[in-house]
Amino acid sequence: MLVSEIDMITPSSLPECLMQLSKEGRIHRLIAGGTDAAVRMKEGKWRPEIWINIKNLHELRYIEESEDCIYIGPLTTHTDIIHSPLLQRKADVLVDAAREVGATQMQNMGTIGGNIGTASPAGDTLPALYVLGARLELTSLSTKRIIPIEEFILGPGRTVLKENEMITKILIKPQKPNEIGIFQKLGPRKAQSISIVNVAISLTLDQDLKCREGKIAFGSVAPTIIRARKCESMLPLGTLNDELIRNIAKIAWKEVMPITDGRATATYRRDMASALLERGLYRLIRRWNNH
Amino acid sequence: MNTKWVGKRVKRIDGPEKVTGELKYMTDYHFDNMVWGKVLRSEYPHAKINSIDIEAAKNLPGVICVLTHKDIPGFNGFGIVVPDQPVLCSDVVRCTGDAVALVAAETLEIAEQALSLIKVDFEPLEVVADAEYALTDSAPKLHPDGNLHSHVKINNGNIEKAFEEADIIVENTFYSPRQMHAFIETEGGWGVMDDEGFLTIRCPGQYAYRDRMQIARSLAYNPERIRVISSPIGGAFGGKDEITVQIYLALLALHTKGRPVKIHLSREESVIAGIKRHPFKVQMKTAAKKDGTLLANQVKAIGDTGAYASLGGAVIALAIEHSCGPYKIPNVDLEGFCVYTNNGIAGAFRGFGVNQVCMGIETHMDMIAEKLGMDPIELRKKNVYHQGEVSSVGHIVKSSVGTYKTLETAENCDLWKNREKYKSEVSEPWKKRGVSVATSFHGIGMGIGLPDYGAASIELLPDGTFLVGVGCEEIGGGNSTAYAQIAAEMLNCDISNIKIVQGDTQKTLDGGTVTASRSTYTGGRAVAAAAPRMTELLIQTAAEMLNLDSSQIDLKPNHISAHGEIIPYKSIYKYLYDHHQATRVEGHFYLPKEKEEIKGSGGAPHHLYGYLTHVVMVEVDTLTGETEVLRVVSIPDAGRVINPQGLEGQTEGGAVMGIGYTLYEDVLIENGYHKTRNFTDYIIPTIRETPLIETFPVEEPEQSGPFGAKGIGEVVMIPIIAAIMSAIYDATGARICHLPATPERVFNALKDLKKQKVQSSR
Repeated sequence: MLVSEIDMITPSSLPECLMQLSKEGRIHRLIAGGTDAAVRMKEGKWRPEIWINIKNLHELRYIEESEDCIYIGPLTTHTDIIHSPLLQRKADVLVDAAREVGATQMQNMGTIGGNIGTASPAGDTLPALYVLGARLELTSLSTKRIIPIEEFILGPGRTVLKENEMITKILIKPQKPNEIGIFQKLGPRKAQSISIVNVAISLTLDQDLKCREGKIAFGSVAPTIIRARKCESMLPLGTLNDELIRNIAKIAWKEVMPITDGRATATYRRDMASALLERGLYRLIRRWNNH
Repeated sequence: MNTKWVGKRVKRIDGPEKVTGELKYMTDYHFDNMVWGKVLRSEYPHAKINSIDIEAAKNLPGVICVLTHKDIPGFNGFGIVVPDQPVLCSDVVRCTGDAVALVAAETLEIAEQALSLIKVDFEPLEVVADAEYALTDSAPKLHPDGNLHSHVKINNGNIEKAFEEADIIVENTFYSPRQMHAFIETEGGWGVMDDEGFLTIRCPGQYAYRDRMQIARSLAYNPERIRVISSPIGGAFGGKDEITVQIYLALLALHTKGRPVKIHLSREESVIAGIKRHPFKVQMKTAAKKDGTLLANQVKAIGDTGAYASLGGAVIALAIEHSCGPYKIPNVDLEGFCVYTNNGIAGAFRGFGVNQVCMGIETHMDMIAEKLGMDPIELRKKNVYHQGEVSSVGHIVKSSVGTYKTLETAENCDLWKNREKYKSEVSEPWKKRGVSVATSFHGIGMGIGLPDYGAASIELLPDGTFLVGVGCEEIGGGNSTAYAQIAAEMLNCDISNIKIVQGDTQKTLDGGTVTASRSTYTGGRAVAAAAPRMTELLIQTAAEMLNLDSSQIDLKPNHISAHGEIIPYKSIYKYLYDHHQATRVEGHFYLPKEKEEIKGSGGAPHHLYGYLTHVVMVEVDTLTGETEVLRVVSIPDAGRVINPQGLEGQTEGGAVMGIGYTLYEDVLIENGYHKTRNFTDYIIPTIRETPLIETFPVEEPEQSGPFGAKGIGEVVMIPIIAAIMSAIYDATGARICHLPATPERVFNALKDLKKQKVQSSR
């Protein structure tokens, strides 16, 4: 398929978009911010017959809260997330992660729905969504289902999304006042980089720095984002002092199964799973003490 | 000297149009009747070509022509020193950047499609992926004379005896990366041939006249019928010194029936086909006495030039000339090898081999200082050569030498004086800071054996302003502003009355390349040679007009006065025009040279050198191995500074490029194939990796230079490399001798250090 032969249609409403998605006998793909899609088109990897351009479906761009649930529209950009007072208060780890995506230009264009749909093991918002217990609403012309993000992603670039479906809503649990989160990323440089390892942490803390429960999710160290369940189970073992933090961090390398690629070796990635968890917990405690 | 323009913070004359985007680069041009050119590159790093079938490609609708080696009218090769690189390969390909065929088509997409329809029957051959392996008998020969392109040597004194008598010897092996120029504008341009066979090539380059000769050789065409426009350029750094796409454009233009043809490489193609910095392996052994006096240095450097020579031989020669630093070491045994492999192509790049050896000698200076318990600046001050003294390569340095002064300035700068305080102010408990110093130098101009000259023209224009023409291109360094300052100073006029034209064989004289830190010095001297001729022309003409003696004529700012009468320059122009007299003068200049070449050195010594000392502070995250450069102090000796703002542009850009080289950048090639193909994987520093950079110039005027100036364009990125390496050591105790010092390399070194500590405490 030549780029010049690809068509593009721009539906003006969600129903129209779902209608387009339901058309059979052709290869189509959604394009929103284009930060992944345009690159892959250029590389020759994504050459659908038709781009369905949803960038201007403003009805899918929102951040709302009701009845102990935060709803995020899939066309919400990373910049929207960074600037949302609601998310800053009740989903700090997601705000943190959105800040680490590429650089400002990509944060302006890239959408959270796109980051989820691309399902890269290195996707920066994904570990944050994992620790926030995100669920996704998938809609087709005739169906609607809600599934946890863990079940949505099957492998690198592979999801359960059907040809005629799209992500129409992201649901996350708002953090309680005694919950605090952090996102840590190690890339080859500070900006414009793809994660070598990343980790999202969200903890529920008591006054005396005892952790009641916590969630930890790593990116770039397995075919999908993975939760570090063993580390999580050790979080409530005592006051989160330097020694406990070091001990928990040491477990992390056992929970990950990374590969070697151009960015780093598997051994380094394993070491960095521990290092980022340690650094993240230190920084998180410092942040907790400071507010 | 009291000056009006020289030495002042004059804003760049090309600044506004570049900042606003108004300036058109060659690759920005589009024409309604334009066609697109594309280059078919090799599929294999090393292979025999059995046949090339272009039929299907030619028959694709929209294709205008498909060319192979058979369509080259002249010599099928290019290369600045040895033309060993085929324009289009006929029998063998030696790297994946090799060109096999050219296409011109109505659209870029059709041209790309046509490439995929060209069937080349390749027979893959063994790939030579390592320079040391290339030198063994078992490696296949990539060129008729084998894989050793050049071998240079400098010997002085008695190295064995010196090592025996030494109190202290340090010995290490250093590996340096294959850095990419990473200019924003990738290689490209356009070519067109008119009805009368006049060929115009607009293509960013660093020496329009030489590019023209290389085009003419391949086309077997009268060079006078070729015009090359090579300026302005969206960055080059040495990467456009060699031919890039000029010959392809010329060949295609022969077949497009007068329609302009454009080629603009994608970033990926630029990575694969463009030249890179030579990766080196440097083994170094340095000896000193207890009092810190350097006794001996032994160096063996192997540079991987990839498939073709380009300027590889000169790079190795310059590396060896500079491998002992700006010091006087009486006993040296220095040896360099430039080796062919199938790893892309390496060539000219800012620093030109000195980067790779500076990291060795400067690391050794710090190791010696530490072992002797000496201050690293004291050790350096003790060993530097001064003007009139004998350098390590054995020649008397007659030109100005500022190293000692730069070291004194370093010693007294805030960062160095208060380093212990700054080092204690870490931002997080697991981070460690280090502060280090390093110094280096860099030859200016071509060295012995190569003609080196400058030329400039000044033309009086109808409106009474001046057009200054200099061959040297404006590659972004700001030489155009320096030329304008020198012209305005000497013509006693406002700088707004000076227009500059550069890099155009039709409008400028041959004044040599924009390389070797030479363009301010050489071009500036040429302008300074032309300017008195213009003032003479103005005065003589005014005298003639007024029927006075020339001694009665005064040259005032922007006009001439005589007997209370004011004569504007446009009247002088009109007079000259009406009388059919020349309005243009020329200035020529020959670069001072040393008289005797050091035998076997391949071009050493240079007559002039620029000097520079860096002080840096880094912070290392010991949990991850990430290194951040927090502060840089750059102390150049550029002779008299023509434009402090321009100098800061160089020191800041150079520092960031040096940071990239030391911490991030490497074009990875595995078995001949590139692994880092664009800026997703090839990591260059961004503004977030850019530290506070201070510049404190030490002005040691050079008598031969324009207003006392020397060159500085390359050394600005060199000592910082060694300084960062040593600062990492100062912070953590880990020595990284293999660059780039990526987080992974630093982390592993810290891990090894911990293991050693555990073992030694047992």
